[in-house]
Amino acid sequence: MTNFTRRSFTSALALGVAAPAFLRNASAQSATIKIGQVVPITGPAAEAGKYAMAGAKIALDEINKKGGILGKQVEIITEDDQTTNPGAVLAFSKLATNPDIVAFVTSIRSTQVHAMAPDIAKIAKPTMFGGTDPTLTKLGNPWLFRCRPNDTFSGKVIAEFGVKELGLKKWGIVHSTDAFGTNGMKALEASLLALGVTPVAIQGYANQSQDFTPVVLALKQAGIDIISSYFTFENDLGIFARQLRQLGVNAPWVGSPSIVNTTAIKLAGAALNNTYGVADYAEESSPEAKAFADTYRAMMKVAPDNQSSWTYDGMNLLAVAINKAGKTDPEAVRAAMLSIKGYKGAEGEYNFDANGDGLHGYNVVKNVGGKIEFAKHIEFPA
Amino acid sequence: MSSMIEIYRASAQRKQRGLLAYIALIAVLVYVAATTTFDGYVTNILMQAVTYSVAVMGLTVVLGLCGQINLAQAAFFGLGAYAVGLGTVDYGLSYWICMGLGLIVVLGFGAFLGTSTIRLGGHYLAMVTISFQQILTLVMINWIPVTHGPDGVSRILKPTLFNTPQSYLAFCVVVLAVVGYLVWQLPSTKLGRAMRAVRDNELAAGVTGIDIQRTKVTAFAICALLGGLGGGLFAGGFSYVSPDQFSFAESIVFLTMVLLGGVASPIGAVIGTGLLILIPEWLRFLKSIPGLYLAIYGLAVILIVLFMPDGIWGFVVQRFKSLRGALRLSAELPELTLVQTQSHADDVLVVDNLAKHFGGLKAVDDISFIVKRGSVHALIGPNGSGKTTTLNVLSGLYTPTAGAVKLDGQDITHFAPHERTASGLGRTFQNIRLFRSMTALENVIIGVERPGNPVDHAPIALEGRARAALNFVGLGDRADELVTSFSYGHQRLIEIARALAGNPTLLLLDEPAAGLNSTEKMELRDLLKRIAAKGLTILIIDHDMTLVSEVAEHITVLNFGRRIADGDPVSVLNHPDVVTAYLGSDANAAH
Amino acid sequence: MDMVFQLLFQGIGIGSVYALVALGFVLIFRATNVVNFAQGEFSMVAAFLMVIFSVDLEWPYWISFLLSLGGMAIYGALFNLGVYFPLRHRTYLPVIISTIGASILVSNSTLALYGPQPQVLQPLLDFPGFNIGTVYLDAQYLLIIGLTVVLVAFQYWFFEHTLLGKKLQATSQDKEMASLLGIPVATMIMLTFVYSAMIGGLAGILVAPILFVSIHMGGTIALKAFAATIIGGFGDVAGAIIGGLALGVIETFGAAYVSVPYKDGFAFLVLVAFLVFRPQGIFGERVAEKA
Repeated sequence: MTNFTRRSFTSALALGVAAPAFLRNASAQSATIKIGQVVPITGPAAEAGKYAMAGAKIALDEINKKGGILGKQVEIITEDDQTTNPGAVLAFSKLATNPDIVAFVTSIRSTQVHAMAPDIAKIAKPTMFGGTDPTLTKLGNPWLFRCRPNDTFSGKVIAEFGVKELGLKKWGIVHSTDAFGTNGMKALEASLLALGVTPVAIQGYANQSQDFTPVVLALKQAGIDIISSYFTFENDLGIFARQLRQLGVNAPWVGSPSIVNTTAIKLAGAALNNTYGVADYAEESSPEAKAFADTYRAMMKVAPDNQSSWTYDGMNLLAVAINKAGKTDPEAVRAAMLSIKGYKGAEGEYNFDANGDGLHGYNVVKNVGGKIEFAKHIEFPA
Repeated sequence: MSSMIEIYRASAQRKQRGLLAYIALIAVLVYVAATTTFDGYVTNILMQAVTYSVAVMGLTVVLGLCGQINLAQAAFFGLGAYAVGLGTVDYGLSYWICMGLGLIVVLGFGAFLGTSTIRLGGHYLAMVTISFQQILTLVMINWIPVTHGPDGVSRILKPTLFNTPQSYLAFCVVVLAVVGYLVWQLPSTKLGRAMRAVRDNELAAGVTGIDIQRTKVTAFAICALLGGLGGGLFAGGFSYVSPDQFSFAESIVFLTMVLLGGVASPIGAVIGTGLLILIPEWLRFLKSIPGLYLAIYGLAVILIVLFMPDGIWGFVVQRFKSLRGALRLSAELPELTLVQTQSHADDVLVVDNLAKHFGGLKAVDDISFIVKRGSVHALIGPNGSGKTTTLNVLSGLYTPTAGAVKLDGQDITHFAPHERTASGLGRTFQNIRLFRSMTALENVIIGVERPGNPVDHAPIALEGRARAALNFVGLGDRADELVTSFSYGHQRLIEIARALAGNPTLLLLDEPAAGLNSTEKMELRDLLKRIAAKGLTILIIDHDMTLVSEVAEHITVLNFGRRIADGDPVSVLNHPDVVTAYLGSDANAAH
Repeated sequence: MDMVFQLLFQGIGIGSVYALVALGFVLIFRATNVVNFAQGEFSMVAAFLMVIFSVDLEWPYWISFLLSLGGMAIYGALFNLGVYFPLRHRTYLPVIISTIGASILVSNSTLALYGPQPQVLQPLLDFPGFNIGTVYLDAQYLLIIGLTVVLVAFQYWFFEHTLLGKKLQATSQDKEMASLLGIPVATMIMLTFVYSAMIGGLAGILVAPILFVSIHMGGTIALKAFAATIIGGFGDVAGAIIGGLALGVIETFGAAYVSVPYKDGFAFLVLVAFLVFRPQGIFGERVAEKA
C-alpha cells in the first residue's frame, strides 16, 4: 500500500469521472492531427449540429485528400454541447483534456462561446467559432477566431440595403429577446440611426412563442413600410411569416441569416417569398461557395447554409494556418492565422484583423419562390 | 437518573467520534481538491457537482423533511448566482458582500413563497413555484439594464482568498461539508422533528403544539437559502452565468437529483447530484444517435422511481439495516411526573353554549358542560350524536358557529390547534395519528417539546422524559423502534404517551378503545386509572360503555347534537332519556 | 376596434388549444389525483404519428388521422401500465417524477427515431382562412375552436348520460366506494388514460399545421394548460375550458397592450393571483389535498 500515492489516488478518481476520455488518451499516440469540435447533438439546436458536423467533415475529407496537415492525416473529435451553456463548457473542457487536440471548432451560438471563453483562455489553443455577438472578439481573449461576419456588419448591411437600395424609411424591427436577437436589433438600430433613420416600431418576443398576432398588429399600426427581423428559431420565424401575410402585411422584409436557411423556407413556404436576407453564406456569391454547395448537396441531399459553411471554413483556415506555421505550437498557429489575408472561403474573403474577426461583409440574397438568389455583396473595410 | 445520563453520554461520545471521522474525511477531500492538479474537465465536473449538491440539499430539507414540493430551486440558485455575478462585475463589490446580499434576497423570496404554503398544498404549491420560476426567468432575460439580459454575466470574480480554481473548489467542498453536516443533524433537532411531523401528519402536528405555518415557511426559507448559496458558489466557479442555466428544466433536474439519491438524507442529495451530472457524461459515447442518451436517462428515472422508492441511498440503507443489529439500551428510568399548572381553579374546561352547524345541519347545538379538575369526565352518545364534532371544535380543527370554550380560565375559542396545545390541551385520535417515519421515542419527544410545557428542554432531559413516558405506558424497552412496527393497540399507547409527555392540563381521548381487543381494553383501562391517579384531568369520548362506566366519575350524554343528560355515572346511566336514546337504540355498542 | 377583435379571435384560438390539453389533464387528475407532466408529449407523439402516416407514407388524411388517434389510444394504455399503474399505491410525488421521466424518455426517443428537424403537417382544410372586415379568421383556428365546443358537449353527454361515463365519474370521486359497487377501478383508470391521450393527441394534430411538428411542441402548451386547469378549478371540466380560453385571451391582450416579451409571464401572474385570492378556481370546489 505504500505505492498508493496521492497521484495514483487522483488518477483513480479522474478515471472514475472521465473514463472514456482517459482510455482514449492512453491509446492515442498522435499519428494524426486532431481538431476538437463542440456541436449540439441533442437539444433544440440538434438539427443545426448535424449541418455543422457535415461542413467540418467535408473540409476534413478535402484536407486529407490533399495530404493532410503537416503531412499527417487529420481527425475530428466531437463532443455534444446539449444546446446548453453548461453543456458547452463541459464539452469543451472534456476536449481540452486531450493533449493531442491542437485546435478547436466550437459553437455558432454566442452565449455558448461566452460560457466557454474562460476555458478557452486557459487551454490557450486556437479556437474557431461562429457566434456573431460583436463583443466576443473584444473580450481580450487572443485565442478566439470568428469565421462569420459579426452582427455589427449584419446590421450595417441590412440598413444600407434597405435605406439605400430599396429607399425605404419607415422601419419595423422584430427580434428575439435572446442574446442573438437583442444584439442584432441594437446593431441594426445604431446603423439605421447613422443613416438618419429612426425605426418606427421595435418588437421583441420570447423564443418558442406560439402566436405573433400582437407583434404583427403593432407593426401594422406603426405604419411600417419595411420589416427587418432577427429570429433565432425557424419555427418562430415560420409562424410569424405566415401570420404576417395572413394579416395583410406585405411590406418588403430584410431579415437576419435565419430567414434564408433551409428549414425556415421549408416551414414557412410561400410566406417567405420575395423576402431578402443577409447571408454570410450565399451559394452564388463566389466560385468557392458554389464548389462547397455542390459537394454538400451531393452528401446531404439538401442545400447548404451558414450552419455548415463556417465550420467548413473554420477547418480549412486551421489547416492553412498550421501549414503556414509549420508546427502545431499554439502561438505560431495564432500568428499565422492573424496573418491570413485574402483567403477565399465558402463564406467570403477572410482578412483577419487584430481582434480575430475574419469577415467584414455580408451577402444580400432574395428568396424567389423558395429558391435563394444572390442579390448583392456589401463589404466594409476591416 | 444516573444510568440515563450514562446512556446519553455513550451516545454523545459515539456522535462525537462520528463527527471526528467526518471532519477527517472532509479534511482529506479538501486536501485532495486543493493540491491535486485536475484537468479542466474534471474540475468543471466536480465544481458543478459540489455547487449543485448544496442546492439539492435545500430540497432534502423542504421535500425530504417537510414534505413540501418546490419546483423553483433553479430560480433560487439563479438569484444567488446573479447576486454574485452582478455584484462583483457591475458594482465592484467583494465576493463575500455579494454572497451575503444574495442570501438575504433569496431568503426573502423563499419566505414569501413559503407563505403561500399556508393556503396551498400539493399540486397548487407546485404551480406557484413553477410560476415563480417562469416569471424570474423572464425577468432575467428581459430586464436587460440590470441583468445583462440573455447575454448573461461574464468574467465573474472569485474571492481573492481562493483565486485559483483548485483552492476555490476546496472552499466549495468545505461549504458543502458544513451544509451537509447541518442538514444531517437537522432531523434530530426540534425544528427538524417539527418538519417531519408536519410531513407525516399535519393534523397531528398541529395538535401536538407545532406551528405548522411557521415550520413550512422556515423549511422553504432554508431550502431557498441553500439554493442561493449553491448558486453563489456556482457563479464564482464558472465565472459566467446566463438565464438559460436557471430555467424550469433545471428545477426539474434538481428535483430529480434529490429523488434519485434519496430525499431522506444529505448523502442522498450528493449521490443524486453526482450521478445526474455524471450519467450524461458517461453516456456521451451514445451520441452517434441524437437523443438516445437522454432517452436512457428518462428511462432510468422511471426505473429508479419504480424500484428504489427511497432513492439510491434509501435502498443502500435498507440493505444495511438488515445486517446491522439494532442497538439496544436498557436503563433505569425515573417515574413519569405530571406537573400541573399553577392555577387552582376548580373548573378545568368550561364549554358554554357551544354550537357547530354545517350548512343546515346542526351537528352540535347549544351544548354546555364543565370538566372539574382531577376528574375523569366522559362524553358519550350514539354514532352521529355530535361527540366527535364537539371534540374537533374543542381541539380547534373546527371553528364553532357559536358559544365559547375556556381552558383553565383562558378563552381558547378562537385559538389555532397548536395554540390550544400550548395552553395545555393534549389529545389522542380515534384513528391513530402518529408520525409514521419516526421512532416511538421521537414521537414522544415531539410531545415533550410542546410549547409551554413546564419541563427542562435540554436534549438529555427531553429524551429522559420521553423515555419515562413510554415506560409509563409499558413500552419503555421498545422506544427506539419505528412506530410502524408496533401493533395497533401499542400505537394507541404511544399516542397517549406523546400527549402525557407534554404535561397537558386536560387530556382529550377520542374513542381510545376503538379497534382494541379485550385484553388491550383491559390494559387501557388500567392505564387510564393510573393516569387519573396522578391527578390529571381527562375528558374521554367513547361509546364503549364498559370502559366509560369503569373509569368515569362524571358523564355527559349527547344525542342529535344536544346534551340530554349530565351527572355521575349511576344517575346518568339510569336516566330514562339516556336509556331510550342511547342504550335503547344502540344496545349493541357495549358487546 | 378591429385590432381588439383580431386579438380576441387569436386569443380564443390559442386558448382552445390550452383548453383541449387541459381537458386531458383534468381527466387524469380526477381519476388518479396526480398531475401528468408528460401530458404535452401526448400532443407531440400524435403529431409525429400524423407525419409518419400522412407525410412519409402518403396515406389519405382521414385514414392517417384515425390511425393516429388509434395509436394514441394504445400509447395511453402503455403509458398507464408503465408510468402510473405500478405506482398507484404511492403518494403523488413519485408519480410526478415518473411522469417527468416519461416526458424525457418519450421526447428524446422521438428525437432518436425521427431526428431533430421540425416537420410540416398540412392542415385538414384546403382553404387557409378569410376576412371579415379587416379581421382575419384562420381556418385552422376556427376548426380548433369548433372541435373544442363539440368535444366539450360530447364529454358532458358522455359523463352525465352514459353508464360508462358514470362509472368513470364514480371512480374519480371515490375509488374504494366504486370498487365496492363492483366497478373495475383499474380498467376505468386505464380508460381514462386512453381517452386523455386521445384528446391530447387530437390537440397536437390540430395545432401541428400552425406550430409545426417538433419534439418541443408540447412542452409550453402543457405548462399553460396546467395553469389553465388551476385557474378553472382543478378537477372541473368546464373550469378547464374556461381557464384555457381565459388564459389565451389574457396573454394575447397582455402581449398586445403591455409587453410581448413578458407574454408568458401574464399567464403565471394571473395564476398566482388566482391561487392567492381564489384557490378553488373559477368554478371548482377546492380539492382537498392531504399533506
